[in-house]
Amino acid sequence: MSARDKTECRVSPWFLLSLGVVFAAGLAVLAFSLYEVQVVGSAEFNKQSENQSVRRMLVPGARGRILDRRGRVLAGNRPSYCIECYINELQQRGGWSNTVNAVDAALDRLAAVVKLPRQKTRAAIERHVRQELAVPMEVYHDIDLDALSRFAESFRDFPAFSESVKFERTYPLGCAAHLVGSVKWDRPEFAVSAEGDESTPHFYAKENRGRFGLERRYDSYLVGASGERLILVDARGYRHGSWNGRKAEPGPDLRLTVDADLQKVLEGELAGSVGAGVVLDPRDGAVLAMASSPSFDANEFVPSITAEAYARLDGDPLKPLLNRAMSEYYAPGSTFKPITAMAALAAHVDPTSEYDCTGKFVLGEWHLRCSSRWGHGPISMRRALEKSCNTYFCNLGHEIGIEAIDEAARMFGLGAKTGIDLDGEKPGTVPDEEWKIRNKRGERWYPGDTCQTSIGQGMLQVTPLQMAVVAAAFANGGKVYRPYLKARDASDGAPAPVRTIGFSRAAFELVRMGMKDVVDKGTGYRIRTRPEGGRWYPLNASCAGKTGTAEVGVGANRRKNTWIIAFAPFENPTVAVAMVIENGESGGLTTAPKVHNLLASVFGEGPPHEGSAVNAGEAND
Amino acid sequence: MEVLFAKIRRMNAVLFLAMAALVVIGAMAIYSAGSARSAEILHHAYAAHLKTAALGLAIYFAFALTDYRRMLDIFAVPAYVLSTLLLFVVLVVGSEVYGGKRWLWFFQPSEISKLALILLFAAVYGLHGRLDGHFGKRAETPSGWKGLAMGLALIGIPAALVFAEPDLGTTLVIVPTGIAMLFAARVCWKGLVALLVACALVAAFVLGSVSAASRAEDPEARERLLARTHLKRHQIKRLQVFLDPDSDIHGAGYTLRQARIAVGSGGMYGRGWMKGEHYRLGYLPPTISMNDFIFAVLAEEAGFAGSALVLALYGGILFSGLWIGLKCRDDSGRILAVGITTLVFCHVYENMAMSIGLMPITGLPLPFISSGKTFMVVLVSALGVLQSVSVHGNADEADFRKEK
Repeated sequence: MSARDKTECRVSPWFLLSLGVVFAAGLAVLAFSLYEVQVVGSAEFNKQSENQSVRRMLVPGARGRILDRRGRVLAGNRPSYCIECYINELQQRGGWSNTVNAVDAALDRLAAVVKLPRQKTRAAIERHVRQELAVPMEVYHDIDLDALSRFAESFRDFPAFSESVKFERTYPLGCAAHLVGSVKWDRPEFAVSAEGDESTPHFYAKENRGRFGLERRYDSYLVGASGERLILVDARGYRHGSWNGRKAEPGPDLRLTVDADLQKVLEGELAGSVGAGVVLDPRDGAVLAMASSPSFDANEFVPSITAEAYARLDGDPLKPLLNRAMSEYYAPGSTFKPITAMAALAAHVDPTSEYDCTGKFVLGEWHLRCSSRWGHGPISMRRALEKSCNTYFCNLGHEIGIEAIDEAARMFGLGAKTGIDLDGEKPGTVPDEEWKIRNKRGERWYPGDTCQTSIGQGMLQVTPLQMAVVAAAFANGGKVYRPYLKARDASDGAPAPVRTIGFSRAAFELVRMGMKDVVDKGTGYRIRTRPEGGRWYPLNASCAGKTGTAEVGVGANRRKNTWIIAFAPFENPTVAVAMVIENGESGGLTTAPKVHNLLASVFGEGPPHEGSAVNAGEAND
Repeated sequence: MEVLFAKIRRMNAVLFLAMAALVVIGAMAIYSAGSARSAEILHHAYAAHLKTAALGLAIYFAFALTDYRRMLDIFAVPAYVLSTLLLFVVLVVGSEVYGGKRWLWFFQPSEISKLALILLFAAVYGLHGRLDGHFGKRAETPSGWKGLAMGLALIGIPAALVFAEPDLGTTLVIVPTGIAMLFAARVCWKGLVALLVACALVAAFVLGSVSAASRAEDPEARERLLARTHLKRHQIKRLQVFLDPDSDIHGAGYTLRQARIAVGSGGMYGRGWMKGEHYRLGYLPPTISMNDFIFAVLAEEAGFAGSALVLALYGGILFSGLWIGLKCRDDSGRILAVGITTLVFCHVYENMAMSIGLMPITGLPLPFISSGKTFMVVLVSALGVLQSVSVHGNADEADFRKEK
């Protein structure tokens, strides 16, 4: 800056320089702040940006199938064709109602083309626009292929609409409805946490969740791992694009112990009557079949059951939704007698000592009739089982007392839930004095009650499933297993019994022999052989069992629930059965032929023979 | 012809190239912002931007090739008087856009008054002892307290009119520009310092009142505190947001928050041209994405690298402007250099700083980048005046008549 400069100009070059410093400082402040915001704060701002413009939508993974023990599909998934509307394509300027109007009008046009009544009302559109604008709106759910092809032909007229394939639950074999259960549309599972947390989805489609049965019991096992679809939305909430986030994983298949063939035979045998049956593998408690009649079609619950259909099922006096195999109480009748016999043997009663049956057991003013009107005469334990002699067992019960009977009954698993992996099981009742006082208005325990209990009547209440466990325990020599439906993995090892009944081997042998007599020549001979055209078709395996006819109700309501428990083959049992038919003739006549057919489907029938089946014509208890 | 080439050779290349680069960057940013809009006309806003720049460039060269002293003699006073009159007119008949009366027919008089004030001050404080004055006698540079009072009055008239529109942003540009020029002209140094201190006190008082008001529990006390600032409701809101950016993120603070998110999510290298999300998805309000908040669009797409480039280009304009002033051998040229560079700096600083919350939000465009016709023409013309100073400023080196 020369001297001349200073003299000529009032404006100092130093002022210009200091202004330059101010500018430089200003630009430096901007550069520094921009670095802070754009580079240092970039991650935080990107997250804020995502929070406001990216929506996470849960995509359900396919639900696992339910298979029988040989891999046949009891519950599977079928494709379901839907039409979805991308509302952003119909976005109108101005208020929301303009867009709603546009969608409404488009749905009317679409309905005319696919020739199906609209499934979404204007109110539903409004709700969707208000709450789930970013996700496509499902306007038709589960349409048939004809309607789908009509839509595909006019696809170009409906650029805002697109078809999509979802999965719907299906029960192709139509059996084991009470076991498999069904599904309902429900919220998928996700952790609800603080708003803005990355694990909380903004939107989710409802998916199939277990409603009852195994579908519900193993819901968290079957359900697939949800994936995520990320949707870019604008400031008004309209969708601007989407991309895949986490991939959805299908749920694992659930393999059951149930044999679909046997299940179908069982259901066929029960069809037309009211009752239930359970088939167990006595070696480990695996449920081979379990059915209740009348039943229902689980497909009716898919995608969701109509109110009328549900009212029809729920209001039916025969209660088709009730699983009688484990959620209904029955008196076991004479099928309880083997337990009474075991209790007596444990109390060191001599099984060979004979009791003189006169056809009537008298206790003061109270008496009980035997099935044989004139009495069986002198009878031992084994023969009393074979003939199902009421008076013998009344006397036995009277001798050993209710405590001994109850103890044996509880050992066999009565009076408590078996612990099967299915919801809704009932525990039943093994009555004693205390129970009676508590539940029968303080009425005290009479000797007659002991007598009734010892022949499986009175206040004793069991489920068919419990009786199947009892049959299995007799079959395997005293091991009570927890029945189970989910097949074990190879790594699980053999299941340990819940309890090993501590009665002597000899006692079991004797009662088992008695039960074999029942089938061979006693009240249960129709388990062993089937008459057809004057010939007899015998079962291709040795079998043991016990019939039962429990009388319930009084007066006009008086009816008989007819029972069979059985196991086969006798030497090395692989099948244990319990079956009850409500309102039957007798165990030996009504239920035994059904059990015969059931076992015949497993073991087959031998060559037919002519003449009398057995000497025992009276198939009574 | 030779004279013409000699003059063009004396023009400052950095000043020109930096401006041209910023105009192109602006056109690209406007193209991006316009493509997200549904109105067809906005898809061509970038072309309008370039056309306006071309029109400005014509004036630019006309100004650059004219001796600024002659220009000041002829234009300075009429331009100031006319622009001030237009500011009156716009207050009476202007059309209202976004709550402010700023538009007259197709232009904003407030933009013109910025340049007019610079020219007037250069004439009044720079042409001492050399020419016949405009006021009927030989010009004597106003100085001392009287000179300060005169300068403040000349700033105050347009500033008050613009403030009344209301256009706080432009006021905040006019006042510092005028005061910087008074400083440069050495008009009552003590008075100016006192004035700056007073301004700082007023700013502190206003911000303090707003801050106290937002803490006040009693609504009546709050109203009293706010009333004494004499600011409009929306201006108070902006100050509140400036003081506490998270206070009202769905209301008054929404724009600032979105601008910060847009700028911040750009990262180091940005999302890429045409790939910015915030203006495209409408989070950054579309009405401002092309104008006052174009920097948020640019910064999101170009990242810190782009922001730094833009800052460097503005640095090029500012420092070459000051360099022109340094080389100039008379006061009017230097005062012009001070005025024009300060004008650009104020715009750049306030605009960028408000986009990231360093300054309260005021409606100010970003020079050469924001879409705005009057502003573009005025600023390009202003740089033309600066080029004229570069060409004609040093009489010894540039006596074109002698060569002739």
